[in-house]
Amino acid sequence: MKKTILKFVTATALLTSGLVVSVNASEISKLDVKKECNVEANGIEKVLATATKYNEIAVKHNVEFMRLGMKASQYIEAVDLAVKSGAKTIDIVDDKKKKISEATIEYGAWRACSFAISALTQEEEAKKTWKLASPSDGYKY
Amino acid sequence: MLSKFVKFTALITLTVCTLNAADFNAGAEKDRIAAIKYFEAKFADPEKNKNTFFPYSTDEELKNDYAKNLKHNDFAIGAYSFSKDAKSQYEAIKEMPPYENGIDKGEELYNKKFANGNSLATCFPDTKVAGNYPYFDEKKKELVSITSAVNDCLRANGEAEWNTQKGNMANFQAFLASSSTEAGKKVNIKISSAEAKKAYENGKEYYYTQKGYLKLSCAECHIQGAGIRVRNEKLSPLTGQTTHFPVYRLKWDELGTLERRISGCIVDQGQVSPKDESTQMKELLYFLAYMSNGMAVDGPDVRK
Repeated sequence: MKKTILKFVTATALLTSGLVVSVNASEISKLDVKKECNVEANGIEKVLATATKYNEIAVKHNVEFMRLGMKASQYIEAVDLAVKSGAKTIDIVDDKKKKISEATIEYGAWRACSFAISALTQEEEAKKTWKLASPSDGYKY
Repeated sequence: MLSKFVKFTALITLTVCTLNAADFNAGAEKDRIAAIKYFEAKFADPEKNKNTFFPYSTDEELKNDYAKNLKHNDFAIGAYSFSKDAKSQYEAIKEMPPYENGIDKGEELYNKKFANGNSLATCFPDTKVAGNYPYFDEKKKELVSITSAVNDCLRANGEAEWNTQKGNMANFQAFLASSSTEAGKKVNIKISSAEAKKAYENGKEYYYTQKGYLKLSCAECHIQGAGIRVRNEKLSPLTGQTTHFPVYRLKWDELGTLERRISGCIVDQGQVSPKDESTQMKELLYFLAYMSNGMAVDGPDVRK
């Protein structure tokens, strides 16, 4: 009985804290990056929450985006810290976490969100298109 | 009569098993042969086939810089098979190969005793096996890459595992590759069960799937893009891409493993690469290695 209660409490805690996210393929394919990740229209906190939600799935599916050594999750973390501390910019770092540039927090949130959503929409799209590049399947020359 | 019946039944069973085993790699064979045909067609005459395969190249470079009439085994040296200029530089470097020291270090590691008295020689009694990896372990139902086999050996003997991309790992693999090359071994990847076939197919799908923020698949560069010039380099073809690893890459200034090269490519696509000993990485290696089946092992080698 104790074990059942513990499992229930753990599952509830994970679900409410957003650690377990389940989104179906139909929902993913309907996502509009420009709309969902518009910082001006949605506000930075909401865009960051969207980025966090979808990037967790991208990480789970092994399709997380990165650019110049900085992963989407690093953008999310950097923007989150900046918002909490009141900073206006985030550091852009290389793969050794050395600062190479900086960007506004709005730009960081947009990038994190667009990376997170695009990773998933692209993954869905690729399920239908990947064979088109294979010489033994759909590729014609 | 009974003896004849038993023999007949055994023969039928053996035949069915053999046919089934052959079935598991039928799709992979179709993929491998289609890839070879594609590259042979593409590099039969790049100048003549410009509109089909090289629409963005100049007539002059297709005429002067590309070799013609390439066949299957020519692709073992990658872009050097068709790029005349790169091949002449490659041959000059090969006069004093920069990886020889790595082979020697690898041989020392092979014979060095672990704390428990065993050594890598205990796990790899035959050193001429580089062409057999990755293989599907039918008991454990998982793929084993040469890198995971080395680290499994170290872990099983209470030793610290090695960096999967360079250093000891690359040097030891250079020794195995060199031994296999000297023995005239060929790439010999087997797909003998439904689970192995699934692992191959997962690797194939990964290879052809567009990834990362640049939305590039491996195939866009190494099938459709093979031979195309990107800045001043020409892209290598899929066929023959794994025969020569580990490689001494001029960019690295040291020997590196196949996983190092592949993860670099994936990061360049704008995606986080799977870990070197992960199932996903091993599935990709399995597909890549199968595409080089039957070609001579020729590692270690040097690449730009």
